[in-house]
Amino acid sequence: MANRTVPRLLQTPAVVLLLFWMLVPLSMTLFFSFIRYVLNNLRRPEWTSPSIENWRGFGNYQYVWNQDSFWLAIQNSLIIVCGILFLTVAFGIAIAILINRNFPGRGIVRVMLISPFFVMPAVNAVLWINMLLDPVLGLQGIAVAGINDIISGLREAPLVGGFFSLWPEFSPISFRGAQASSYAVIMMVTWQWTPFAVLIFMTSLQSEDQQQKEAAVLDGASAWNQFRFLTLPHLGRPIAIVVMIQAIFHLSLYAEIEIVSRGSGNKNLPYYIGELVNNNIGAASATGIFAVILANIVAIFLLRMIGKTLME
Amino acid sequence: MGRIVLENVQKTFGEAEVIPPLDLTIEDGEFAVFVGPSGCGKSTLLRLIAGLEEVTSGAIKIDGADVTQVPPSKRGLAMVFQSYALYPHMTVRKNIGFPLRMAKMEQAEIDAKVEQAASVLNLKDYLDRKPGQLSGGQRQRVAIGRAIVREPEAFLFDEPLSNLDAALRVGMRMEISELHNKLNTTMIYVTHDQVEAMTMANKIVVLQAGVIEQVGSPLELYRTPRNRFVAGFIGSPKMNFIDGDAAEKLGGHSVGIRPEHIDVVEGGLWQGRVGVAEHLGSDTFFHVHDTGLAETITVRAIGDVSLRHGDTIGLSPRMDELHRFDAKGLRI
Repeated sequence: MANRTVPRLLQTPAVVLLLFWMLVPLSMTLFFSFIRYVLNNLRRPEWTSPSIENWRGFGNYQYVWNQDSFWLAIQNSLIIVCGILFLTVAFGIAIAILINRNFPGRGIVRVMLISPFFVMPAVNAVLWINMLLDPVLGLQGIAVAGINDIISGLREAPLVGGFFSLWPEFSPISFRGAQASSYAVIMMVTWQWTPFAVLIFMTSLQSEDQQQKEAAVLDGASAWNQFRFLTLPHLGRPIAIVVMIQAIFHLSLYAEIEIVSRGSGNKNLPYYIGELVNNNIGAASATGIFAVILANIVAIFLLRMIGKTLME
Repeated sequence: MGRIVLENVQKTFGEAEVIPPLDLTIEDGEFAVFVGPSGCGKSTLLRLIAGLEEVTSGAIKIDGADVTQVPPSKRGLAMVFQSYALYPHMTVRKNIGFPLRMAKMEQAEIDAKVEQAASVLNLKDYLDRKPGQLSGGQRQRVAIGRAIVREPEAFLFDEPLSNLDAALRVGMRMEISELHNKLNTTMIYVTHDQVEAMTMANKIVVLQAGVIEQVGSPLELYRTPRNRFVAGFIGSPKMNFIDGDAAEKLGGHSVGIRPEHIDVVEGGLWQGRVGVAEHLGSDTFFHVHDTGLAETITVRAIGDVSLRHGDTIGLSPRMDELHRFDAKGLRI
């Protein structure tokens, strides 16, 4: 027995610390989600302190469940995460394959490719929304204005003038507006996280068996078929890893949403919780529990997928 | 049909000339083995024929058609790699059917051909497994299966048995030879193992540093090696070489004699002391020292001869089996 007790005793501090670390916040959230708890209410001052007397049962959950903005937040969370995942994996594979061959200056190109990953998320968001996507002063505004200038110049030109006078004037997209603010977030996070995907896919490509490729060449496989039947299956595991890690990170995006539009049009679950926390702690905690459930559903899907690729 | 002709084929990697210009003809239906020590360019030569490397100059012709600029998949050749190069994510069935699928053949026809190849190679029970679940010998057979479904003009084997254990190697050697008898297709086989070359080939091509030292049937090479390198490379155990005055007396700058051409007799021409004796039962190999001819002379005696370490031994060479070489190492 002694040889089992000693290791368990030695593990105890770590286990206790972890339990404390996770259980205390979780149980506090659970507790708050079942009571009426607000920061400021002049008519019912007793609700401003957390107490079991203010028990509300599933009232907070019911309140959140019936809010349209809650469902919109879940929808935005999923759109943003799925959009980023799809784009980073696609760009990641394409770039990794491009830079996997030998060319002069490959080292510098690789370092430059990885650099977006070292930019702080808030800085990244400010740069994109002000310098690149701004409809007037940003690169987008300047580019659209330039294209419009060229077209209006061509309207006067002989021969082709008639054709170009039919063209409309392009108007820049306002990415701070509710219609496009999710796309702005997807764009900037994709830019920042593609290097991560490239890095992982690149190392995986370097371990690809060259004789298999030669065998495929002799078997008559075109470049596309080599990619489709050899490279893509070979990348299955790294893709699963990239998807899982990024899903964990992007479900909790906050800074980009705050900076792009303060949640107008792109409010995701963490941002929604953040707004509730300004006053209604009870409802915020209930939303937090919903977020935990959502994250667990996503995690189950991801773990199944990863388990499948790891089994092979 | 599969007559492969190399005309003045040369290969250089940058400054290094791996294969100086060489000519070689492999007739239709022949089993040709490229053999030589490692780094002699035999694999490079095979890859040039396959089209995986571009020739620097010269021409490769298959059945009279110049294929030097033809891409590998259009040459009608199938290759079996040393590492088997099976596609790890596909089942055995898909692996074998892959070249047919790439040729856009009907699925039903692919299935029929895969079944047929699998029954030839005893793979029927493994068709739905993945390569990772197979043993080395089975993987080897899958690689061969993938080659035979294409019905190529010629098969190219790049040291296909070197990753197998000794017992399996002997078995696969037989299977490949039988396959050749059955299909009667040209095969080119690369190995560094002269035993494989001797047992399987119709034609052996001995290479050294990219140069063809000799081309011929196994027994031609065994009986009349063109030079000292071929003499030493073909045959196991290796031929004994005698240099210096002792060789002059026998009529050459150096003289070679195979271990199986020296008889153990009391009071023979040469006297020595037994170093290591290898008793195999059917044969006994003696490594004989202090003969005054060379450092060691290897001798094969038939049956179990009861001489031990340190015993004096009398040797009598069969004079008509001596190989005499001149100062340049060429046969006299």
